[in-house]
Amino acid sequence: CKDDLAEINKNPNEAETPQPAYLLTSTIKTTADSYWGVSNNLASSLLFVQHWARIQYTDPDRYIFTNNDFTDGWSTWYSKSISQLKIIQSLAENSGNDNYKGVALVLQSWIFSLLTDAYGEIPYTQAGNIDEFLTPAYDTQETVYKGLLNDLKMAQGLLNTDSEGIAGDILYGGDITSWKHFANALRLRFALRIADRLPDLAKSTLAEITTEGAGYITSNAENARLIYEDAPYRNPVSSSFEAREDYRVSKTIIDKLRALNDPRLAVYADTTQTATPEQYIGVPNGLTSSDASNLGFARTSRPGTYFRDPHAPAVILSYAEVLFGLSEAVSRGFITGDATDFYQQAIRASLAQYNISNELIVSYLQQEEVQFDPQQYKKSIGEQKWIALYGQGLEAFAEWRRLDYPQLTPAVAGVLGGKIPLRFLYPGTEQSLNGKSYGEAIARQGSNTLLTKLWFDVE
Amino acid sequence: HAQTTALRGAVVAASTGEGLPGVSVQVIGSNTAAQTDAAGKFSLNVPSGSQLRFSYIGYTEQVIVLQSNQSYLEVRLDEQENALDEVVVTALNISKEKKSLGYSIQEVKGTDLSEAKESNLVNSLAGKVAGVQVTNSQGNMGSSRIIIRGETSIAGNNQPLFVIDGTPVDNSQLGTSGNRDYANAISDINSEDIESMSVLKGPNAAALYGSRAAAGVILITTKSGSKRKGLGISINSNNTFERVAVLPDYQNVFGQGADGKFSYVDGKGGGINDGVDESWGPKMDGRLIPQFYSNGEAVPFLPHPDNVRSFFGTGRTLNNGIAITDATDKIDYRFSYNNSNQTGIVPNSSIEKNNFNLNTSYKITPDLTLTANANYVRTNSGNLPGVGGFRSNGYMLQFTWFGRQVDVNRLKNYRDADGNLVNWNNSYYSNPYFIAEENIVQQQRDRIFGNVGLNYKINDFLTANFRSGNDYYTDRRKIRIAYGTNGTPFGSYEEDAYTVNENNTEFTLNYNQPLSADFRLDILAGGNIRSQSRQRNDQKAPRLAVPDVYTLANSRDALVSLGEYSSLKTYSLFSSAQIGFKNYAFLNLTARNDWSSTLPVDNLSYFYPSVNASIVLSEAFALQSDVLSYWKLRGGWSKVGKDTDPYNLIDSYIFSAPYSDSPQLTVNDIKKNPDLKPETTTSAEIGTELALFDNRLRLDVSIYDINSINQILSVDVSPSTGYKKQLVNAGKINNKGIEVQLGLTPLRKNDFQWDVNVNFSSNKSRVVELDEAGDLQSYTIGSSGSAQVLASVGQPYGMLYGTAFLRDGDGRIVVDANGIPTTDPVNHYFGKFTPDWLGGITNSFRYKDFDLSFLIDIKHGGKIYSGTNATGTGTGVLASTLPGRDAEHGGLSYTVGDVTYDDGIIVDGVNADGSENAKIVSAQQYYKARYRTNEPNVFDASYVKLREVKLGYHLPNRWISKIGLQSASFALVARNLWIIHKNAPNIDPETAFNTGNAQGLESLQLPTTRSIGFNLNVKF
Repeated sequence: CKDDLAEINKNPNEAETPQPAYLLTSTIKTTADSYWGVSNNLASSLLFVQHWARIQYTDPDRYIFTNNDFTDGWSTWYSKSISQLKIIQSLAENSGNDNYKGVALVLQSWIFSLLTDAYGEIPYTQAGNIDEFLTPAYDTQETVYKGLLNDLKMAQGLLNTDSEGIAGDILYGGDITSWKHFANALRLRFALRIADRLPDLAKSTLAEITTEGAGYITSNAENARLIYEDAPYRNPVSSSFEAREDYRVSKTIIDKLRALNDPRLAVYADTTQTATPEQYIGVPNGLTSSDASNLGFARTSRPGTYFRDPHAPAVILSYAEVLFGLSEAVSRGFITGDATDFYQQAIRASLAQYNISNELIVSYLQQEEVQFDPQQYKKSIGEQKWIALYGQGLEAFAEWRRLDYPQLTPAVAGVLGGKIPLRFLYPGTEQSLNGKSYGEAIARQGSNTLLTKLWFDVE
Repeated sequence: HAQTTALRGAVVAASTGEGLPGVSVQVIGSNTAAQTDAAGKFSLNVPSGSQLRFSYIGYTEQVIVLQSNQSYLEVRLDEQENALDEVVVTALNISKEKKSLGYSIQEVKGTDLSEAKESNLVNSLAGKVAGVQVTNSQGNMGSSRIIIRGETSIAGNNQPLFVIDGTPVDNSQLGTSGNRDYANAISDINSEDIESMSVLKGPNAAALYGSRAAAGVILITTKSGSKRKGLGISINSNNTFERVAVLPDYQNVFGQGADGKFSYVDGKGGGINDGVDESWGPKMDGRLIPQFYSNGEAVPFLPHPDNVRSFFGTGRTLNNGIAITDATDKIDYRFSYNNSNQTGIVPNSSIEKNNFNLNTSYKITPDLTLTANANYVRTNSGNLPGVGGFRSNGYMLQFTWFGRQVDVNRLKNYRDADGNLVNWNNSYYSNPYFIAEENIVQQQRDRIFGNVGLNYKINDFLTANFRSGNDYYTDRRKIRIAYGTNGTPFGSYEEDAYTVNENNTEFTLNYNQPLSADFRLDILAGGNIRSQSRQRNDQKAPRLAVPDVYTLANSRDALVSLGEYSSLKTYSLFSSAQIGFKNYAFLNLTARNDWSSTLPVDNLSYFYPSVNASIVLSEAFALQSDVLSYWKLRGGWSKVGKDTDPYNLIDSYIFSAPYSDSPQLTVNDIKKNPDLKPETTTSAEIGTELALFDNRLRLDVSIYDINSINQILSVDVSPSTGYKKQLVNAGKINNKGIEVQLGLTPLRKNDFQWDVNVNFSSNKSRVVELDEAGDLQSYTIGSSGSAQVLASVGQPYGMLYGTAFLRDGDGRIVVDANGIPTTDPVNHYFGKFTPDWLGGITNSFRYKDFDLSFLIDIKHGGKIYSGTNATGTGTGVLASTLPGRDAEHGGLSYTVGDVTYDDGIIVDGVNADGSENAKIVSAQQYYKARYRTNEPNVFDASYVKLREVKLGYHLPNRWISKIGLQSASFALVARNLWIIHKNAPNIDPETAFNTGNAQGLESLQLPTTRSIGFNLNVKF
């Protein structure tokens, strides 16, 4: 009778043996949704970096948050993304498929970097291992970044175009070469992230990449991005705009693009619904709801149709970013090369990403304001990278903190005493669920407020 | 010789008005006596002025002095309370003398449930039974939760098991996360069919029902066939009318807008603040402003104080039923049909119920009896009212984010001449009448339940019983969102279908034998097989292809589908024994072993015993006197093992529709556990029952201590572990409490009787441990925004936890540089949702043929987090946001640029450096800060309610018998007439999202209703 009873308790609804390919698909999809979605992007980082602004319910644009507002990334990235990637790695170890393991490590490194850039200290070494660590300790950003560079190096070694392939890869369609390029592009990103703290490690990392020889992302065609599909797998921005009209393009970036005659203006923003002489009108960040409302929905620019399209890509890492990175690495003396050339290539790549014609690119690059200033490479790169990262709120937020350019004016009616947030708040639930580790992290890093400066953010 | 009179008369039961057959009528001091006939009638020659004694088993004896020349007499006998030989229905549908039980049991009569009807049966127990807490979720069409003796399971089901005529029936609330509050399944039961309900409290009473009885059992005995009087037909008609009872206290000074400005163009930002769905706008002083109905013309901006109230209509419940009963020597039956037709206070909401019940037994031979009980219930809802914060159909969401100047009557025609939707706001909401008419949820539940049994009397001592009971239902919901609904522009359509089946098949042997003159033995042994299966199939077209056609195929996108199937099986062997000594001392023992499919093979068998005893001291020591009528002591100890839900052992991965061409698997949020052990609840209870002064004072007191250990908890863990929850076999919770029932009969005369029934209960819970290592300090029971309900170690069950204002050492609020209160980054505890104590007082009066009773229901203590108060404060619609909003309401004057405002507030608080705050903030900013923080929105949830009032009239037997009636009664009934006292503003503190454990949270509740109506009962 016991066997009968055990048979009855066999789960008929869910799979008990997971498939790495199917887990990989859902991991990429779930992570991208959260990365590009409301909580982490639209209603927070895109506002902080003044790509977008709120036209109604302006609290987040005024930096009014509770410790419940940043649970999405924390919860999704750990309990779905990291969890599944760990399972893929263990399945890969059992089956001996190194490419699954390598891909999982690359994605895992990216996701940990999203977490640490947003929150600061995070569980890393003890994360995603519930059998051993029910209350994972938080690691310092230094530990996390050192670990991630190590993980990516290992991933680079595992990824092999000659080995057994992978399926379910909705980023690169199973192209291992591209994964190797993406892995190195992330190493470049991380090396620069810690450049002000650990320049030697940054430099040696880039040297290793050169030695290994796999190279970086080579063209816009190789950009790491998820291209969305029809509903229900639409781009989160498209879903958001179908349901509500909360966002407009920020006045800061529209004014900047206009000042630079930047052809990306027509891509980044829509013309106002009610015709206006300026055609494109941005909304100042952090107005009171009343002031924002007074500007009028129809007389301010929505984000461009390119971004509101159901199929719009969620860009994770672009060719342009790699080139900006190389320019900075040269400027910092980490590698040799022509910083100006890399910088110009980066701008070309960014404009080409939006199918802007070569003529317009050439005339854009000829402008005085667009010239590279090696003496102030942080300013040149910071401003152009900020434009190139439009829509990638989290990365733009991290780079703005690190490079301190462009210099942004805080929200008009902000509540942080004339400052812009420097991090996300840990979710309130960490206090009750992982109180001791949380307490230790707070003690090291500083209180759980929006203005606590993170380790990588030196100035 | 005194003159004799020919006296005729009738004796009827006071509670039902029906004639009582076989009542002995005796002239005191003589041998003259008579008995009533089948209709309760008698005739007798008596000397005038003599005294007559009317006595009948189970009823209080009455003596009546005849008036001279009196020729007709109608006597109403009251049923005896707490009599020595009171019989109650106990586990497995076995009737036992109450005195023999070592645990607390309380019975509620069918008439107490059916006259002042509730659409949800559970509600009618509120305030009537000590230790029972009933929470009506919201509105009057939804679910209700019932808890006996507090929450004993941290995460599992805490509601009692419902058993009808020996067969467990389902009381699930399926689909609790949507935007409708679907009624729990026991609401299918027709209260007219109920003979009595026994409430078995705590596991002591319930060891024989197995796992699910750990939280108590409610045993329902339905009316059975009996030898008919007259035609044997009874008709009942109950009609009630419902109106909104509690609405928030709105302000009627300021209208829609922000910063005092508003002008309507298109309702979505085209005008000045016309996309703002808040009332921080201009004063409603008749100034001229374009509004949604005025086509751009400036019209007077005026308050409409009743704008929310006038949206809600009068609900109506028509409840009509007929029952036919008869019995012969071989067969008896009772058939009933009941139709209930309810229209809600929300426009276009309705529920119709049709109940068929057949209860019959047939003596195949004198020793072999076949019984059958069959019920068919169809519950059909044309549309259930939307609840909570859903834009597509949340009424109170829209009315709490509201323009106070809006005249809802102008919204009734929700399309203009061109067919465009009209609303006061177009950026978030759709017209409330439009959503009531078009965004509907239909529900149809078809349910068949009942049982067949065979009873074979093997000899005088031994009886064999076989019973198989089944409860099967399908519950289908069709959820429409119309094209053009704000936020869901293409609409959607969803079909959600559940199928639930449970079978209990049982065989018992009963041995009942006097062992000697003093000792009696009653042994029962049996076995049970329980099989349960549930199925769900949910399909959704997320966006419709064309408007107004509601089929799944009419979809723009791939359908989103969900299928779930679960089944479980339990085998059980059980036994109970009762040893009785001299009819006043009793020892009861039970034992049960279960084998459950839901547990790991090594742990799936578990045993649990119970023991209890009772002694009737008044009999044992011959203590009876004029003062002491009855005194019993009782006590017991019991243990109940409990299994878990199916599929909790092995990690599993959830499928979702392919992305590109790649199927998707997602890790389950819950880390499963292959080593689960059964949960164990042990309970110790002692009690006493006392009757004094000829039963005119009756007291029943119980004290209990319940420990639940090894609880199977799906505990929240930090997501950084890779999971959101983990199934653990840990957790200890202790509940201690006291229950008191007091019955008083202050007055008892032939024509007049006054009874008072008081019940009181107090339960204290404490979460002792969540895991052995002590890593887990809190378990999240539920949350609403940043407010959480926790089971925290060392604290009572159900603590509210959330954000509070930052305060300095003296408890003063710390403000930021702008003078606005700041939120403490550390969350705070605000107290538990569970009450300190519950009480109910029923006063009933009988004067001749009139009955009057009223029930006062009290809940004292407990906290509630109110989302209505939070939101209404943020949006400025509540009257509590008036202080400081202009000079008239105490606002301070301040100047920004060259504009002077008069809505300044200086928050009583200190700056970060400890200096006194002197910054003026606008009222709008201040109230927004109160909205964002949980602390100011947590309230005491106590209430005192006038729960029920009944005024009944039994038509005198002598009148009705002439027109062929057996009895006729008429009653005026009212439910939830008056909230006599509450501390939580703007809401009814008795509220919940659903019947789960996450109580103490309120958000945008539908208003509760009061109902008034009448009940007519006629027997032919």
